[in-house]
Amino acid sequence: MMATPVSAQSFLTGDWANFYHEDQPERGPGPALGDYTGLPLNAAARQYADSWDASRLTLPEHQCRAHVAPYIYRGPIRVRITEEIDPGTQTVIAIRHFLSTYAQERIIWLDGREHPPEEAPHTWMGFSTGEWQGRMLKVRTTHMKQGWHRRNGIPMSAKATMTEYFFRHGNILTQLSIVEDPVFLEEPLVKTTNLALDVGGPNAYQAWLFCQADDEVPGRDPAYVPHYAPGENPYLTEFASQHGLPVEPTRGGAQTMYPEYMKKVRTMPIAPAPARR
Amino acid sequence: MNSSSGWAVLAAIVIAGAVMATPALNAQRGRGGPAGPPPTPRAGAPIDYTGTWVSVVTEDWRWRMVTPPKGDVASVPVNGEGRKAAAAWDLTADNAAGNQCKAFGVGGIMRQPGRVRISWQDDSTLKLEFDAGTQTRLLNFDRTKQAGAEKTWQGFSLAVWEGPGFGRVAEAPPGPGAGQAGSPFPGGGGQGLRGGPPPRGQASIVRGGNVKVVTTNFREGYLRKNGVPYSENATITEYFHRLPTHPNGDNWLNVVTVIEDPRYLNGAYYTSTNFRLEPDGTKFAPTPCQTVAPLPVKTK
Repeated sequence: MMATPVSAQSFLTGDWANFYHEDQPERGPGPALGDYTGLPLNAAARQYADSWDASRLTLPEHQCRAHVAPYIYRGPIRVRITEEIDPGTQTVIAIRHFLSTYAQERIIWLDGREHPPEEAPHTWMGFSTGEWQGRMLKVRTTHMKQGWHRRNGIPMSAKATMTEYFFRHGNILTQLSIVEDPVFLEEPLVKTTNLALDVGGPNAYQAWLFCQADDEVPGRDPAYVPHYAPGENPYLTEFASQHGLPVEPTRGGAQTMYPEYMKKVRTMPIAPAPARR
Repeated sequence: MNSSSGWAVLAAIVIAGAVMATPALNAQRGRGGPAGPPPTPRAGAPIDYTGTWVSVVTEDWRWRMVTPPKGDVASVPVNGEGRKAAAAWDLTADNAAGNQCKAFGVGGIMRQPGRVRISWQDDSTLKLEFDAGTQTRLLNFDRTKQAGAEKTWQGFSLAVWEGPGFGRVAEAPPGPGAGQAGSPFPGGGGQGLRGGPPPRGQASIVRGGNVKVVTTNFREGYLRKNGVPYSENATITEYFHRLPTHPNGDNWLNVVTVIEDPRYLNGAYYTSTNFRLEPDGTKFAPTPCQTVAPLPVKTK
């Protein structure tokens, strides 16, 4: 790959911390059950998410599941960006993102290598290649494991791919991601996430480093997987009622992302008040 | 090799490099004759933003697509005064006072779901027309222009191109010559996209440039439909990024907005808003400034 200016190759490095000026309740504390707003889900994704029980997170097999690359930047995170330099030529051949959440590491190869064949192993972070376009880094990621588009059970398939653009203005780094998921999305999902340069932050990233699965519900049948059968999840309308919304837009779908949908929302009945328990 | 011979070799390499680079530099400057006047901002525009763009609301959905409840300031770094002002929001009073457009001012218009039609008003002014609230913003590339005496909802915006090489070469030479001496792009002309030179209008997009806009002289308004305030003394800076055409044919525009307002905010407020280019302007449908009352929240 033809080398690009050194200045372009180095200005993303450093420690970056997340902040939440968009979707803070979802990204910080976590999304409500049944909140699918703004996501171009298809019916299969909706059905999958409706059956999801948060208690699945207590299963030993799930306790250490990392967020997949498209979602991991959205939650609480610090990102350390470093460069991999060829000692012989001093060319930057890769950019590394160490992600504090679940101690994940992404490698974004800049040396022009091809993506592996489809049957190659999939990982939480996938396989990424990048290219500089001026002062914007374009990254293409494939080979990600099945994960989620939002951490309330909305699934992302292992066939999903992601295109990202990273650009910096002052001390703010913006990641724009375009995720295409032929299994669970009606249209590409476009998100932007801003991170602030974290000068003087902690040198070590210990707090989130290790995950040790344990038996969190003693005595539970080890073969049991918490779930809701179709039509039996009682929590799917709570989010709508708590925020004065009709239920339909909270179910997601591509049409809900566009301005025309505002008029439709006004004609819909508001969700009933949550039942007392 | 001793140190003196090493320096000699290094000097030779530097001189040779300078000599080899000279033709390219000359080519960039043009061959012969005095330099002509600089192109107008429109003629020299390194990125084409024109067209009709639709906002695609995948973030902050319940604060953008509906009017959120009064006092809901989630995600906005408001200070005590900002929180107090948001809690005192009175839509009826705004309407009675003729302030229907407070949520459609420069601090909030980008977040209003709708379409924005971008065109050149003249050789140095990019015009942004929003169907939400029937608002118009003018981005002035002529640095000699000054704000008018009266503050307006959209204020006075000065714009500048940012990015490597801007002001030097606006377009890559078309055809197979791209990438040769005289081109601002290294390599074979594919500019990292593989497969030859980019189509017209793509040349500078793939260089990662953007427009920076700083807006002043605006009236106070709302960051959100439910009266989360910004003051007329805020500083609003925006960065407009047009992305290269996606393999599925989509074209995306991303606008990073930075609002600094010591009166109502604890710190800078950052949002990034995404728009997709539409094939034509047929869905552009202007509506007056109007904020619908929040839906009632049923908690019991």
